Amino acid sequence: MDTVVQLIVNGLLLGGVLALSALGFNIIFGVMRVVNLAHGDLVVIAALTCAMAYAHWHINPLLLLPFTALGGFVIGACIQRFLLRRLPAEIASGEASSLTLTFGLSYFLAGLGLWIFGGQIRSVPYLTGAIQLGAISIPQARLLAFVAAIVIAGLLGVFLRYTSIGRAIRATSMNLDGALACGVDADLVRTVSFGLGSAVAAAAGTLLSYVYTFNPQDGIPFTISAFAVIAIGGLGSYTGALLGALVLGFAQAFASYYAGSTLADAAPYVLFVLVMLVLPQGLLGRRAS
Amino acid sequence: MPLLEVRNVSFAFGGVKALDDVSLSVNEGEILSIIGPNGAGKTTLFNVISGLLRPPQGEVLLDGQTLKGRAPHRIARLGIGRTNQIVRPFGRLSVVDNVAVGALIHERSLRGARAAAREIVEFVGLGALADRNAGTLTLTQRKRLEVARALALKPRLLLLDEVMAGLTPAEMDTMAEFILALPKRGIAAIAGIEHVMRLVMRISHRIVVLDYGQKIAEGTPAEIRSDPRVIEAYLGAPLEVL
Amino acid sequence: MKIAGWIGAATALVLLLFVPLHINGYWLNLLYQTVLYVGLAYGFNIISGYAGYFSFGQIAFFGIGAYTTGALVLATHWDWTICALIGGVLCGVLAVPIGAVMLRLRGPFFAIGMLGLAQTARVLASSSSALGGGSGMYLPPGSSLLPVYYWTLAVAGGAFAITWWIDHSAFGLRLQAIREDEAIAATLGVSTTRAKVSAFIISAIIPGLLGGGYAWFLTYIEPTSAFSARVDLQSIVMTILGGIGTLWGPLVGAVLMTQVSEALWANFPQAYLMIFGGLLVVLLIVLPRGIVPAIATRMQKRTTPSAGGGMVMGSAQPGPERT
Repeated sequence: MDTVVQLIVNGLLLGGVLALSALGFNIIFGVMRVVNLAHGDLVVIAALTCAMAYAHWHINPLLLLPFTALGGFVIGACIQRFLLRRLPAEIASGEASSLTLTFGLSYFLAGLGLWIFGGQIRSVPYLTGAIQLGAISIPQARLLAFVAAIVIAGLLGVFLRYTSIGRAIRATSMNLDGALACGVDADLVRTVSFGLGSAVAAAAGTLLSYVYTFNPQDGIPFTISAFAVIAIGGLGSYTGALLGALVLGFAQAFASYYAGSTLADAAPYVLFVLVMLVLPQGLLGRRAS
Repeated sequence: MPLLEVRNVSFAFGGVKALDDVSLSVNEGEILSIIGPNGAGKTTLFNVISGLLRPPQGEVLLDGQTLKGRAPHRIARLGIGRTNQIVRPFGRLSVVDNVAVGALIHERSLRGARAAAREIVEFVGLGALADRNAGTLTLTQRKRLEVARALALKPRLLLLDEVMAGLTPAEMDTMAEFILALPKRGIAAIAGIEHVMRLVMRISHRIVVLDYGQKIAEGTPAEIRSDPRVIEAYLGAPLEVL
Repeated sequence: MKIAGWIGAATALVLLLFVPLHINGYWLNLLYQTVLYVGLAYGFNIISGYAGYFSFGQIAFFGIGAYTTGALVLATHWDWTICALIGGVLCGVLAVPIGAVMLRLRGPFFAIGMLGLAQTARVLASSSSALGGGSGMYLPPGSSLLPVYYWTLAVAGGAFAITWWIDHSAFGLRLQAIREDEAIAATLGVSTTRAKVSAFIISAIIPGLLGGGYAWFLTYIEPTSAFSARVDLQSIVMTILGGIGTLWGPLVGAVLMTQVSEALWANFPQAYLMIFGGLLVVLLIVLPRGIVPAIATRMQKRTTPSAGGGMVMGSAQPGPERT
C-alpha cells in the first residue's frame, strides 16, 4: 500500500511540472495551430544552462528562472517573427510546413546544445534531500519544482485572463476571424504567444534541471510528452492539460517502478496511442464536428 | 419509390439541434430546392446524406436501400454526388485531374479517367483552363469545377450546395440553364440548397423549407410562395403584422 | 529531348552496375551511401509527399529491418539477403496494424505519432536483452561491400520504379487527392483508408529492406544507429530539397546532398545536426517546393507565353500540404 501511495506522490509531483511544460506547448498550439517540435529542446537547453551555471558558479536554478524565462521568450518570439512568419503562403496554409520547420529547428537546437554544452549528461545536485512522511519519501527537489510549477501556471492563468494581451491570445486561439474583426493584431499575438510558450518551456526546464539529468539530445521525448499531455487531456482545454499531465505523471511513475525507467520513457507515447484510439478528442476535449 | 428518402433524421452539434426530425424525399426527374434562413441546417442535411455525418437518429435511403453507416466513398459510388458551399478544389492538381478523381469510380485507368474528365471539363466551360492548377482559378471557375467534379461520378442524385453564391446575375442565369440541362446527362434528380429566390421559384419542381433544423413547409413554388409559415420564418413575423 | 533522357538513364544504369566492381573502398562506400539515401528518400516521399501524411518516423521500419535481418542471421545462419527480405516483409506486415491506428490521425498527430513510434522502437531495442540491449549485436563480417551495394541499388531502383508507377497511375491520383483534401476525396469515391494504408505499407517495406542491407554494411546493429535520428533527418531534408511529392525530387536531393552530408558528418559531427536542422529551416522558407519544381517552373516560363501555367501531375507536383 505504501508503495502505491509513494508512486501516487511521485506521479503527482511529476505531473505538476509536466503540466507546466504542456501549458507552454498548448499556448502555441492553441493560438497558431502550430505544433512546436522544438519545444522539448527549449526545455533541455534551459536545463543545461542552469546545470552549467550551477557547475561554474553554484547559482541556485530558481534564481535563474526569470533569466531563462526571458531568454526563452526572446528565442520564441524570434522563431515566430523571423522564421515561421516567413513561410511562403503557398505552403504555409497547412500544418505540414510549420511542423517540418520546427522539426528542423529541433535538430538545430539539439546540435547547438551539443556544441555549447558538449555531449555528456548534466544535472544540478541541488536540494537532494527528501522529506519523510512516515514511509513516504518526498524528494525536496521534486516538491519545490512542483510548487514552483503550480505558481507559474497560476500566474500564467491570471495573465491570460486579466491582461488585454492575454485576452487577445485566448480570443485568437478560439476564433481567429472573430479576433481579427475585433481589431486584434494577429502578428503581435502570434509573436507574444510563441514567446510566452517558449518562456514557459524554459521555466519548466529550469525547474526540471535539478530533478533530472539532461543531455542535449533529450529534447524530443519532452516534446512528445508535452504533446501526449495535450492530446490526452483534450485539445483546447486548459484544465484538460492539467488533467492530462496528472494522468501522464501517474503513468510514468507506475511504469518506472514496475517496468524500469527505460520502458517508462515509452509511457507518454503508448498512452498517446491508446487515447487516440479510444477517445480521439481527449478526456475533456471538444468533440470535432 | 422516391430516389432519395430522408427519414426522421436528427443531428446535434453539442447542444445545438442542427436537424430535428427531418423527413423529405427526392423523386426521379425532379429538381428539389431546399431553402431556409441561414443556420437552418441545410448543409448539415447534405453532410448527412453524403455520409460525412452520422445521424444518431433517422436514416437516409437511396432507391429504397439504407445508407446507414456507409462511408462517404461508398455513398459516392452508389450514385450521390455533391458540391460544397465553400468551394474546395484540389489546389495543386490540374483542373482535369480534379475531375478525374471522381471519374476513377467508372474508369479503370488514369488515362481513361482523364479522357472522361476532359469531356466534362469542356461541358462546364472550363476547357481553356483544363491543364491549369485548380488553385489559380477564380471563384466562378471554381464553382464550375465543383460541379464538374461531382458530374464525374455520373451520379443519379446531384446535391448542389449554394452553387449560385458569389455569381453575378448573368452568371446565375447561365448556371440555371446549365442545371436545367443536366438531366440530359443522365442525372436522375437534383437537390439544391439555394438562397436566390427568383431562380428557386423558376427552376424547382418542388421546394422544402427548413428553419431551425425543422421542416416547416413543402410544396410547389406557388404553394411555398404564399405559405405564411415560410414568410414568417424569413421575415420574422406573419405578413399581416408587418 | 526524350531520347537524350533515356540514353542518359541507360548510361547511368550501366555505370551504377559496373563501376563499383572497379573502385576502391572509399568510393564504393560513398556510392553505397548515395544509393541508400535515394532509396530512403523515395520511401519517405510516398507517404509524406504523395499521400500528404508527413511521417517523421519512417526510420522505425529501417531499424526493424536491420534488427530482423541481424537476429535472423544469427539465429538461423541463412544468407543475409533472405533475412533482409523477411525483414522487409515483416515491416510490410507490421505497417498494416500500425497504419490502421496511425493513419486515423491527421497532420501533426500523425507526424508526432510516427516520431514517437521510432523513439519507442529504439527504447524497446535497447531494453531487449534478446536483441543485445544497448550494446547491440555483432554480425559476422562480410568480405566486401559489393553485395550490400547491389542489394541497396536494387531496392532503390525498385523504389523509384514504384514511385514512377504511382506518379502515372490512378492510385497516385487518389493519394494526391487525399493529400489535397481528404474529406472531399472521400465524397468523390476515393476509398481513403485503403489508399493510405497501401501507401504506408510501401513506405514501410522500402526502409525495411534498406535497413537489412545497412545491418550488413555496419556488421553491427545497435539501437542508436539502427533507429538513427540523423539518418531520418537526412532523408527528410534530402527529399524536401529535391522536391517532395515529385518523381525526381528524392533522386536529385539525395544525390546532391549525400556527398556534402557524409563529408560534414566525418569532419564536423558537432555541427552536423545544427547545419542540417538549420538547412531544413532555411529550405522551407526559401525553396519550399524543392529544386525539381523550381526548375520545372523556370523551364515552363520559358516555353509558355502565359505565366503560372498549370503543372500536370507527372512532372512536378509540390508540397506535402493538407488543408
